[in-house]
Amino acid sequence: MPVEVAEKPATENKFNRMSITSVAGKMAADYWEDIFTARERGKHIVWYNGSALNPVFQAAGLGWCHGEAFSARLAAQHLEVPAQQAGEEYGYLGELCSYSRTHLGCAVLTKRNLYDQSQSVVGEDDARELAAKLPAPDFFVNAYAGCSTGQQWDAMTYRVFDKKLPLFNVSLPMLWGNKPDSGYLVGEEFESASAYVAEQMKDMISFIESQTGTPFDWDALSENMTYIKRASELRLEAMALCAAAPTPATYWDWVASIAPINFMPANQALVDYFAGMKAEIEQRIRDGVPAVQNERYRFYFDGIMNWNKLGWLSRKFAEYDVAVIAGRYTHDAFWQEPDLIDPSDPLLGMAKNYLICPINSGLGVMKELLLRRIDEYGIDGIAFHSTRTCRVMTNPQQILARTAERERGTKSFFFEGDVADASFYRDDLLETRLIATLEAIDAQRVRAA
Amino acid sequence: MSDWYTLGVDLGSTTAKAVISDSDGRLVAGEVVQMGAVSREGVRRAIDAVLERSGLTEADIVRTISTGYGRKLVPGADKSYTEITCHARGAVALRPGVELVIDIGGQDSKAIAIASDGLVDKFAMNDRCASGTGRFFDVLARALEVDITEVSDLALSGTEDLQVSSMCATFAETEVISLLAEGAEKADIAASVHRSVASRTLGLVSQVGKRKQVVMTGGVAKNAALVGFLSEALGTPIELLDEPQLAGAYGAALLARDEYASGLLRDDADAETERQMAQAFASITPHCADCDGHLDGPVRAVALGLPAVGHPVAAL
Repeated sequence: MPVEVAEKPATENKFNRMSITSVAGKMAADYWEDIFTARERGKHIVWYNGSALNPVFQAAGLGWCHGEAFSARLAAQHLEVPAQQAGEEYGYLGELCSYSRTHLGCAVLTKRNLYDQSQSVVGEDDARELAAKLPAPDFFVNAYAGCSTGQQWDAMTYRVFDKKLPLFNVSLPMLWGNKPDSGYLVGEEFESASAYVAEQMKDMISFIESQTGTPFDWDALSENMTYIKRASELRLEAMALCAAAPTPATYWDWVASIAPINFMPANQALVDYFAGMKAEIEQRIRDGVPAVQNERYRFYFDGIMNWNKLGWLSRKFAEYDVAVIAGRYTHDAFWQEPDLIDPSDPLLGMAKNYLICPINSGLGVMKELLLRRIDEYGIDGIAFHSTRTCRVMTNPQQILARTAERERGTKSFFFEGDVADASFYRDDLLETRLIATLEAIDAQRVRAA
Repeated sequence: MSDWYTLGVDLGSTTAKAVISDSDGRLVAGEVVQMGAVSREGVRRAIDAVLERSGLTEADIVRTISTGYGRKLVPGADKSYTEITCHARGAVALRPGVELVIDIGGQDSKAIAIASDGLVDKFAMNDRCASGTGRFFDVLARALEVDITEVSDLALSGTEDLQVSSMCATFAETEVISLLAEGAEKADIAASVHRSVASRTLGLVSQVGKRKQVVMTGGVAKNAALVGFLSEALGTPIELLDEPQLAGAYGAALLARDEYASGLLRDDADAETERQMAQAFASITPHCADCDGHLDGPVRAVALGLPAVGHPVAAL
């Protein structure tokens, strides 16, 4: 028996990221630079959270800032801490949703009279940089499905801005699925909720008209939704190609492609991005290029992304020959039902897509969609990201895990983390749980052989 | 006397455990070494001690598997498995028919459901907080100013059920100090903390499903009070092992044994196949001078259950 001390070998990066995702990074950087200077170009600025209302804002000629998106961006760049410190210093609890805590911190810094550098723990340069970035809002719109924090988020920001800026709330009812005819996209509950939301969107557009003093451009909205619909179709077609084994693209690539479909301008560049993604995936399939070298396990990811750890997680799973292929966050959100959208009369289809947000459905639909993904992508295991400050995403996870095990024999594990607060996460705990799950899958395979 | 032996090493957060198994899977010797923290020195001491106890040398060990929090630091390990797989394997060997393993170590706690074939079915682990782990009892002992070996007996003598948070080891220490300041009896505090840990462990069990045949492994299994409170909370008896701390290392040694034995079978088979084919080849071609080392036509792997080889075999 050798007695030398075992050292952990340098790990090879076995994750083959799709090259087009760097285009998404450039698109996002350009988008934010545009927002940072929007007021200088005479734009009205709306801060909003929740549903992808951006096609409406775009048609209204606004500059729009999605709070979660900005928080996720800061976290992905590891710049979130000063904003969170500012939020906590103002009085928001450390266990408040870290998306909102980060964004509210930015609001505190942006509203300069709230911020006294001489008494702040936030570094002067950080504070100045963050405060200088986001233009202050002219008004707020909130349209948050499923999450009570999200529904109150803009009201909190409204208070930060002295309750002087207008705020419009769109109420998105939870789709409990209790009625006998309820199901995914069907039933009286779904239809009535969709009509209710669509009516509110008309009121929201009237509100925007009153704020800008400009008649709303309905043709522009139709055009925007034509681009969104086509981009979404291409995205779904590309996702479907990942049923191939080994998969040509991963969940991490879809995470890196959330920004374009979630809040960026609807235009030809958006369509081109997803056409390019589909083409790259097709090329990989033709060339036999896998997304993960030596793919041995196919995983599903349940939970909102841990934005601080995107790169690390993509490499860590690949290190153990795990291709994470699909997820609730990526595959059950972001205009995932383009067939519902009629660009010539888009509001109802938009409302339906907002309602089927993955945290807004009853358990029956969540189970149905999870099992569907397991079957579509040949999933062996599930990583449940127990998102510490996102109760709504984590609440059903234990039941979903049991459903997957009972109905499909799919193994799973849980790891703690957060959307935008790295302090809730530890690498070694994820690693132990991941390896233990792979060992259980191996045992399952031996048993089946 | 066994022909060969395997070594399992479980490097935890506070102890290093080493177990030697013989070729039949019998536990030959085991050692537990206390450490201040995870250290290579600690694991070296455990390995040296188990070799000495067994009368074996490193040369007798054919395969080593490591497990535990510090498994990547174990010298000479051929492979690592998580403590989940190893504790399950060890517990099943020590108590055949076990359906649920509750492992509480120095730093983490786990509930492991075992399938009917003895393999891991599912598992749940504590989150980042040390509440409900061995560290939690260290905190309790320090706050009560008693030795760690005394907390179990102290808890068993408690009569009052005080409210103690089970959510955070650090805050629990504060709570204990507050209760002492309020004049609560040490025994009642100790009992209440044990109940709290049992309650938290019950939460883990609920994630994998309650089962009837329950074994507890890990150092905390030596705490009779916790075993009692947990058994009461579960409503089912918990079986005790003689050396619950060794279950993980024993499981690792058994996995090493399984792997080595399966490799040995393959090696034996290959050697026997070669021997038989060489004999057959020699009888067909007594004059080998012109042989280029290739045999045309199928070659049979006689009576070994191996797949027939349908291609030329090089350099017999």
